[in-house]
Amino acid sequence: MEMIERYIFAVTQGLLQSQREDIAEELRGLIEDMLDERTQGRKATDKDVEEVLMELGNPKLLAQKYRGSKKYLIGPEIFDSYIMVLKIVLISVVSTISVGFIIQIILDPISILDHFIEYIVSFVTVIPTAFGWTTFGFVLGEYFGGVKAKDLQFDKEWSPSDLAPIPDEKRQIKRYEPIVGITFYTLLMVILAFSNEYFGVWVFHDEFSGVVPFLNEETYGSYLFFIILIFGFGIIKECLKLIYGKWTFRLVIYTVIVNLISLVTVVIMINGPEFWNPNFMLELTQAGLLSEGSEAYGTVSKIWEQSTFWIFILLVIGLIWDAIDGFIKIRKSK
Amino acid sequence: MSDANEQIDKLMQELRRGTITIGVLSQLSEPQYGYSLVSLLGDNGVDVEPGTLYPLLRRLEKQGLLDSKWDTNEARPRKYYLLSSTGKEVYDQLCVEWRSIVSSLNHLIDEKGGKENGDD
Repeated sequence: MEMIERYIFAVTQGLLQSQREDIAEELRGLIEDMLDERTQGRKATDKDVEEVLMELGNPKLLAQKYRGSKKYLIGPEIFDSYIMVLKIVLISVVSTISVGFIIQIILDPISILDHFIEYIVSFVTVIPTAFGWTTFGFVLGEYFGGVKAKDLQFDKEWSPSDLAPIPDEKRQIKRYEPIVGITFYTLLMVILAFSNEYFGVWVFHDEFSGVVPFLNEETYGSYLFFIILIFGFGIIKECLKLIYGKWTFRLVIYTVIVNLISLVTVVIMINGPEFWNPNFMLELTQAGLLSEGSEAYGTVSKIWEQSTFWIFILLVIGLIWDAIDGFIKIRKSK
Repeated sequence: MSDANEQIDKLMQELRRGTITIGVLSQLSEPQYGYSLVSLLGDNGVDVEPGTLYPLLRRLEKQGLLDSKWDTNEARPRKYYLLSSTGKEVYDQLCVEWRSIVSSLNHLIDEKGGKENGDD
């Protein structure tokens, strides 16, 4: 009977979420009715099920009939993914603009009105742009994907054994996880790429009076490429999770590969010459946060010198955990 | 010859597609569920696959020609369809149109049969 559920899943997957349950229920009834007619009271065998499903035909074709031949800019088959990606994009954009706005008013509270106007202007210009490009991407996807749907009609060779299993709940990746991940990576990438001078220790004397940056501002430009690369890989990893939607062996392998590449990139970067701000300690003292020779100075100095090593260790632990976590999730479902 | 058969298949498919709707509407002055409708139509010589009928019922419902109701009292929950008031009106009008098409076409076919010397 597993086969029946697989078939129903294959049909309803290509339909809008709002219709799925109702159509699934009706199809289940139909298949049972067809089985009853075929078996006339005896117990239905797998072969009976297979014959009934063959009679109903390719589930993709049936889904197509349910959808009708309406012209869509973005059809129901990809509509749910479209909405999801749109959410990711808009959340990323809004949070990036908002964080930028908050940083600006902390740094320069007097011209808050100007910043606010800028903020509103960004909203009006950037959000429609993001919305437009995302939509455009999916329209292209629908257009070129549409060719594939037509090929399907000649695909008469279909057999119930082709049906993919229904994804296991435990292996499923919750949708919000990669969405949060992508938002987080985007935000960090934008902050690091365009306002790295604010990435450091913030100094306040009554009011904000400057930042002692962690990174070396002079060599920073040459590292920008690496930074974008690392976060780019992070985003790719989250996208893979979204596409697969469940933990599979292959997905874990891909995650491991992506993690390894990011790890190597990070190692090259933080060990590279003058990545960190060489005058960090000096600037801290100048900012009046520390006085040379004090106990606090010693501690901070030690932490600062060993930071490269510890960042590396933390990163390795994090990335290995990411892979182990994936394997555990595959295991659990077996 | 297979070429002609292929063409006939295609044309018949088109012809059937239009008439199935009338056939379905004709049987739904009493509530029916999908599979009972398949057998009902089949018994009357209108063969329709469930894979065609089920989506069609949904489409007609969406267009407001049919009302539907789930019956969960029986062992197997079933969705029953019934003509809506719009559906009745549409069906009556379709019957009038259908009869007029049949009589016009009959007239054309018979007339052509009368003078077989066309350039075809």
